[in-house]
Amino acid sequence: MLDTIIYNIKKNPYRLFLAKFIIFLSIVFIIDFTIGSLLNYFYFKQKSGYEYRTTYSLEKTQADVLIFGSSRANHHYRPDIFEDRLNMTYYNVGRDGNFIFYHYAMLKGILERYAPKIIVLDLVKEEFRKNSNSYDRIATLLPYYDSHPEIRSIIELKSHYEKYKLFSKIYPFNSLILKISIANTDFNKKRSPDIKGYIPKTRTWDQPITYDTTDVRYELDNKKIEMYEDFIKDCNKAGIKLYVFVSPYFIKLNHTDYSIAIGGEIAKKYNIKFYDYSNDSLFTSNRSLFDDMVHLNHGGAKVFTDLVVDRILNGN
Amino acid sequence: MLFNSIEFVFFFILVTVAYFILPQRFRWFLLLAASCYFYMAFVPIYILILGFTIVIDYFAGILIENEQGNRRKLYLVMSLIANIGVLAVFKYYNFLNQNLTALLGSFSANNPIPFLKILLPIGLSFHTFQAMSYTIEVYRGNQKAERHFGIYSLYVMFYPQLVAGPIERPQNLLHQFREKFDFDYGRVVEGLKLILWGLFKKIVIADRLAIYVNAVFNNVDHHNGTTLILATFFFAFQIYCDFSGYSEIAIGAARVMGFNLMTNFNRPYFSRNISEFWKRWHISLSTWFKDYLYISLGGSKVSIPRWYFNLFFVFLVSGLWHGANWTFIIWGAINGFYLIFAIITQSLRSNFDKITGLSRLPKLNYAIQILLTFMLTSFAWIFFRANNLPDAVLIIKKIFTQRGPLFFEAPSMLIFPFLGILMLLVVEIKKEYYNHKFSLFNNDKWIVRHLSYAILVILILLMGVFDGGQFIYFQF
Repeated sequence: MLDTIIYNIKKNPYRLFLAKFIIFLSIVFIIDFTIGSLLNYFYFKQKSGYEYRTTYSLEKTQADVLIFGSSRANHHYRPDIFEDRLNMTYYNVGRDGNFIFYHYAMLKGILERYAPKIIVLDLVKEEFRKNSNSYDRIATLLPYYDSHPEIRSIIELKSHYEKYKLFSKIYPFNSLILKISIANTDFNKKRSPDIKGYIPKTRTWDQPITYDTTDVRYELDNKKIEMYEDFIKDCNKAGIKLYVFVSPYFIKLNHTDYSIAIGGEIAKKYNIKFYDYSNDSLFTSNRSLFDDMVHLNHGGAKVFTDLVVDRILNGN
Repeated sequence: MLFNSIEFVFFFILVTVAYFILPQRFRWFLLLAASCYFYMAFVPIYILILGFTIVIDYFAGILIENEQGNRRKLYLVMSLIANIGVLAVFKYYNFLNQNLTALLGSFSANNPIPFLKILLPIGLSFHTFQAMSYTIEVYRGNQKAERHFGIYSLYVMFYPQLVAGPIERPQNLLHQFREKFDFDYGRVVEGLKLILWGLFKKIVIADRLAIYVNAVFNNVDHHNGTTLILATFFFAFQIYCDFSGYSEIAIGAARVMGFNLMTNFNRPYFSRNISEFWKRWHISLSTWFKDYLYISLGGSKVSIPRWYFNLFFVFLVSGLWHGANWTFIIWGAINGFYLIFAIITQSLRSNFDKITGLSRLPKLNYAIQILLTFMLTSFAWIFFRANNLPDAVLIIKKIFTQRGPLFFEAPSMLIFPFLGILMLLVVEIKKEYYNHKFSLFNNDKWIVRHLSYAILVILILLMGVFDGGQFIYFQF
C-alpha cells in the first residue's frame, strides 16, 4: 500500500515536488518552532538592556511618573529629582531610536494594567516626518505581538505582511540572538547600568554650536500625527496628567521645527501643557551641559529635570 | 519589486504556477505581462522608455536583416544612437552639464543649459545593453531578426534579469522563449536552491555588511584609518554578495521555469590576478564589453600601445557604465591600469617568484596572488563606494596615515558580518577547491540536503536584515 503511494508520487513530478516541499517546510517549521520558543524564553528572562526595559515597561512598572520618548527621553530626565521633589515613584519608558509608534504602543500596553499619575512625553525634531526608518523601528515591538494584543495594530503598521511573517517563531527575535545571549550570561554585567530606565551620559561636548538655518517644510506622516493625538486622548481619558516637552539641543535654530510646531498646536487643542526647550538659550549657550549635539549629559539632565519638575509643580 | 520582498514571493509563485498551467502558445504573453507588472512596480511611467527602445530595436533588427550594404550599417547606427541617446539623456546629461558648469565657472562664465529633473529609470544600463546586443548580433549575422514583437519585447523585458542582469545575448535567450519547458523536478529544485542561496547572500551577508559600511562611508570625517580599512574590506564582500546574490536569484527564478541564463559570477575573490578577476566578476558585462567594444577596437591584434589603449578605454567606459560620477570613472581607470601594469610586469613578476623561491612553493604563491588581487580590487572599490571624489581621497589618506580604535556601536555590528563572511568563504572554498568532496547542499542523503537548506532558511530568519534596501546594482 505504502509502496504504491510512494511509487505514484515518484512517477508524477508535481506530486514528487509537492511531497518533498511539504517535508522541507515541516523541517523548517520544527526547527523554527524549537529555536523560536527558546529565544522567546530567554528574551523574557533578560535582566538588562533595551529589551529588558521594554518588557519591564510594558509588563511590570507601577511607577507614578513615566517618561516616554526616544534616547533623549532616556538621558534627559533624572529619576532622583523627580522622586525627591514630587515624592512619587518614577520609571523611564524611553527607548533609543524610536518614534511615536513605540511611545503609543508602550502607553497602550501600560494602560491595560494601570494608569500612572503623570506622563512626560519627550518629543523630538522631525518626530512626524515621513520616513520608512521609523516603520522599520517598530521591529522592537515584534516579540510582544503574541502576548499583547492591544499593540498588534501598531505592529502591523510595519508592513502589510507582518502578521504572515509572524507565523515564524524566530522572526520576532531576528537579529537579537547575540543580545539575548549576552543578557543571559555574565557579559550582562559589563553593560552600562540604568537607573530606573534613565541612562546617564558622562562626556562633555567640546565642539562649537551648530547653526541650523534650513527651515525645511518636509513631508509629514499623518499616521504619526494621528497617533500623537491618540496618545493625548488616551491620557486624558485615563485621567493622567500629560506634559509634552521638547528637551534641549546644542543646535541653534532660526525657526521652529515643523513637527514641534504641530505638536504644540495639537497639545493646545487638547489643553495639554507643551514646553519647547529646543532653542533655549540657557542650554544653547552652555555646551558643558551636553554629551553630544542632541543629548544632555548627567549634569545637563539635572538642570533640565529641575526645570521640568518646576513646570509640573507650578503648573505654568 | 525587490527580489527580497514578500511581494516578490507571491508574484513568483503566481507567475510560475500560471506558467506551467498555461499552454505553450500563451506563455510568452504571461511572461511579458508579468515582466511589465514587475517593472511598473518601481516607477510605472518609465515603461514608456523601455517601450521606445523596444520598438526602435525591433524594427531595426528586421530592417538590418532585410537590407544589404551600407543601409544595414545605417540602421544599426540609428538603433545604437537611439539606445545610447536614452542612456545619455537619463543617465549622463546632468553629469555632463554639471561638469560643464564647473568648467565654465572656472572661467567665471555661466552655464545657460538647464538641468533636467529626472530620476534614473531602474536598470536602464542593463536592458539598454541587452537590447544593443540584439541589433549588433543581427548586424553581424549571428542572430536572425525576431519577427514576433511580443517575443522580442520579452527578450528585453524578461523579469528575472530585467533590472540587474545577467545581460543576456539573443543567441542564448531568444530561442528559449519558443521552447516548451515541462515541469522538471530536478530543474525546479535546482532553481529554488539558487534562489535560496542568493537570498542568503543578500539578506544575511550583504545587507548586514551594509549597516557597517554605510555608517562609515557616509561619515568619513568621523572615522579613523583602521575603521575605514574594515569598512572597505566589508564593502568588497557586500557588493559581491549583493550583486551575485541578485544574479543567483535571477538565474534561479528563470531556471525554475526552464530557462538557462548565463553565469554572472564565478567566485571572483579566488582570482590570482586582475585579468582572471574580470573573467569571474560580472561576466555578462565583461563579455559584453569584450564582444562589442574591445574586439571592435581591434582587441589585442594591434600595436602594443594601441592594445593598452583599447584595454584602458574599455575599463574607462565600464566605469562610466556603472554611474555618472567621477568616482566610477576613476574606479574603471584603476582597473584598466591594473590590467596593463600586470601585462607589462608579467616577466618581471615571474623572475621575482624565481629569485625569492616563491615559484618552488606553489601553494603559498597561489595564496599570495589571491590575497594581492583581493587587496587591489578592494582598493579600487573605495572609489566605487565613496560618496564623492574628495571622500575617496580622504579615505585613502586616512587608511595610510591614521590608526585608532575600531568603530562599532554594538558587538553584533561586527560579529554578524564576520559570521556571514565566514559562512560564505566556507561554501566558496568548498566549491572552488573541493567540489567533489563531501557536500551538504548536494548530499546523496535527502534528509541531509533538506536539513542543510532548512538551516539556511533558519539563518535568514535569525540573522537576515529584513528592512534592508535595494540591490546596489539597481541604480545602474
